[in-house]
Amino acid sequence: MKEIIRLILSLFFFVLSVGPIFAADVNLSVAASLKEVVTALSNDFAKKNTTVSFRRNLGGSGALAKQIENGAPCDVFFSANFEWVDYLKEKKIVDANAIAAFAFNELVFVGRPELKSGSLDDVVKLKKIAIGSPKNVPAGQYAMEAFKKANIDKKLKDKLVMAKDVRECLMYAERGEVDGAFVYKTDAGIMARNVKILFIMPQELYPRITYIVALTVTGAKKNEAAAFFKFMQSARAKKVLSKYGFAVK
Amino acid sequence: MKLSMGIHKQFGAFQLDADFDLEGNRIGLFGPSGSGKSTLMGVLAGLHRPDQGVILLDGETIFDSRNGMNLAVPHRRIGMVFQRPHLFPHMSVKRNLLYGYRRCPQQNRTIKLDSLISVLQLGQLLNRGVGNLSGGERQRVAIGRAVLSNPRLLIMDEPLSGLDDNLKYQIIPFLKNACEVFGIPYLFISHSLIETRIMTEKVLTLDRGQITGLMTVEELARIHMGDHAANYINLLKLRRPHRIHGLPVYKWGDQQLLISAGDDQPEALFELSSSEIILCKRHPEAISARNLLNCRVSDVFETGGRLGVELECGREHLIAEIVRQSAEDLGIKKGIKIYAAIKATAFRRLG
Amino acid sequence: MLSFTPADYSAILLSVKVATTATVLSLPFGFAVAYLMTFHKFRGRIVLDGIVNLPLTLPPVVVGYLLLLLLGRHGWIGRTILQPLGLELIFTWKAAVIATAVVGFPLMVRSMRIGMEMIDRGLIQASRTLGAGWLDTVITVILPLSLRGIIAGSVLMFARGLGEFGATIIVAGNIPGVTQTIPLAIYEYVSSPGGDFMAIALCSVSITISVAVLIFHEWIGRRTGRVV
Repeated sequence: MKEIIRLILSLFFFVLSVGPIFAADVNLSVAASLKEVVTALSNDFAKKNTTVSFRRNLGGSGALAKQIENGAPCDVFFSANFEWVDYLKEKKIVDANAIAAFAFNELVFVGRPELKSGSLDDVVKLKKIAIGSPKNVPAGQYAMEAFKKANIDKKLKDKLVMAKDVRECLMYAERGEVDGAFVYKTDAGIMARNVKILFIMPQELYPRITYIVALTVTGAKKNEAAAFFKFMQSARAKKVLSKYGFAVK
Repeated sequence: MKLSMGIHKQFGAFQLDADFDLEGNRIGLFGPSGSGKSTLMGVLAGLHRPDQGVILLDGETIFDSRNGMNLAVPHRRIGMVFQRPHLFPHMSVKRNLLYGYRRCPQQNRTIKLDSLISVLQLGQLLNRGVGNLSGGERQRVAIGRAVLSNPRLLIMDEPLSGLDDNLKYQIIPFLKNACEVFGIPYLFISHSLIETRIMTEKVLTLDRGQITGLMTVEELARIHMGDHAANYINLLKLRRPHRIHGLPVYKWGDQQLLISAGDDQPEALFELSSSEIILCKRHPEAISARNLLNCRVSDVFETGGRLGVELECGREHLIAEIVRQSAEDLGIKKGIKIYAAIKATAFRRLG
Repeated sequence: MLSFTPADYSAILLSVKVATTATVLSLPFGFAVAYLMTFHKFRGRIVLDGIVNLPLTLPPVVVGYLLLLLLGRHGWIGRTILQPLGLELIFTWKAAVIATAVVGFPLMVRSMRIGMEMIDRGLIQASRTLGAGWLDTVITVILPLSLRGIIAGSVLMFARGLGEFGATIIVAGNIPGVTQTIPLAIYEYVSSPGGDFMAIALCSVSITISVAVLIFHEWIGRRTGRVV
């Protein structure tokens, strides 16, 4: 009798201790502009690794970094710039050895087709323009840098509507609440029909948009998370990224 | 003032029906609490709307349910003095007084502030805040305010009920005076018979929402005496007192009355209950009562099981009451001469 | 080093401006509604009560979205009235004022009603019999006597307005210098790494203003208490 009880108890504890192996939840914090492509990639990965299930948290890269810093569960962080990854690296939340650039993007100006705004000079004449808040959205930071370099930042004062991420910018443009918005080129695929790319922001005005994938310290300990991190840099992943419009080198 | 009302109003279980025509300047509305007096007057003033009916005041239709005519309260020019003064707390006494006056069209402003102040003796109170007045002062200001709005009719809804006796009889002269001096007809509502007798000449009686009669105030007093097995209260307004052996004496008709409760004021109001008058067929030579009046019996009437005896003394009248047995024993009937003995202490001073 | 950027100063000024404007604009409507609800019985009274109190029970974001649907380019009022007149309300400070006014309206009406209900009806009857028409009575009797409730309602709405976020961000957006009020500015700082210090600084400003408003309310309450 005692033998059986001991066996059951040790089985019970064994199961508990190897829990993580079976309940493989990988927490992803994903920059808004990567929503569709990371969803596709994670589904792809999950098909081949059936024990893994992903939980995705979306937002502006800065806001995500803040959440992670404050304890939000995250194994893999997808940021639209290096700044927020570096921030977390300093705080020893992101594993310094598990940081990799994996995709690139460009800024474009979108709006209703009737708007004949073909360049930054035309944009200055509009009434309201949406950008991501420069304080925590990389696309907004890049846009602001470009405005300053082109010397039009003062002219745009009082016209800029701050959105919490790129998707919200797009939403404002689609709803017509703003005349246009600065979003990523890759968003062209998911835009509504009433909004078109009006021009591409000259690259010389802002640094190249680089997407970083990084493992957090907790994520580095999870096999699935580490495997997914590796997968993000594979050829297969690059194919999917290209399909969604991202540059891969 | 001429008033014609024929109205019906239902509130829940209570029904008010009034159908009467009256004429006069000092009219009373008398009835027990809850009989609908305030509601009836509220209907007249326009504060309540009857379910159906017609109201004519001095020949002008102010309400007619048949054609939707309903003259708004401010246009009826019917002033009201309520049970509680309802003075505006955020205005001084003077502003309160002038509230109605200012809203009265120029051509109707016959009563002016100065004359009102002297009649109601409000001079001292003018610049005080309303919160610094005593109960009596408040009611005087309320009366003044209503009078100063130059109404064509003043309704007084139990204006004396919140006051103690002393105060009541102080205010009554102000009430009467104000209306007499300024010629304002009034409707005086009360459940007190004495107040109604002092203030009015004709009375409309009301009970449980129905008009029960229209009569002189004298008739009401007699009926009341009978219905309620109450005494008849003789009201005597006496003047010019002087003193005999230190006791106040007043002139009354062609005789004199010794009244212990009297004083040296030029005028006073006394009440004397009918039960305090002792009738003697012969002059009682040795009697302690200081008042022995020579009267003639002008009427004998049944009242609630007793007999009321109306006495005529010169031009004055008193009503005494006796039991039937006494009347038979003494052979008291109309026309005979009789003596009325009244103690000096039997008179109660009212004001 | 505490230094507010020009955008921060704008946020503070804008918050006060929006809250004040919303309060002042709502006063006549709030008074009218409170008066009707207190002194008149009419059919549909319950419906009006429900509509007025709705913003109190709805999440502000829902209120904001409903306003957006109503006043936006494709909204019912937007299409029929605003577009033809060339008026743009969405994403302007006017929208912030409207959002604040709608959200704070039930609070104002509630306070005013409490003040009005305390007025002795006998005073109103007296004023009518003295020759005052209904508007005259409202201005000379009801208004002065409900002053306390009016002030309490205004202060409450102003304070609520200073903190308005949900409806404002939907219908007025986050435009620094134009619609970015203190709460929106704080939200931006809070979601930015390294923004905690500024967030706390702005919070302190917000608290200071609120305390000042409450002290003012107490003071006014004492003063009007004396007169009445």
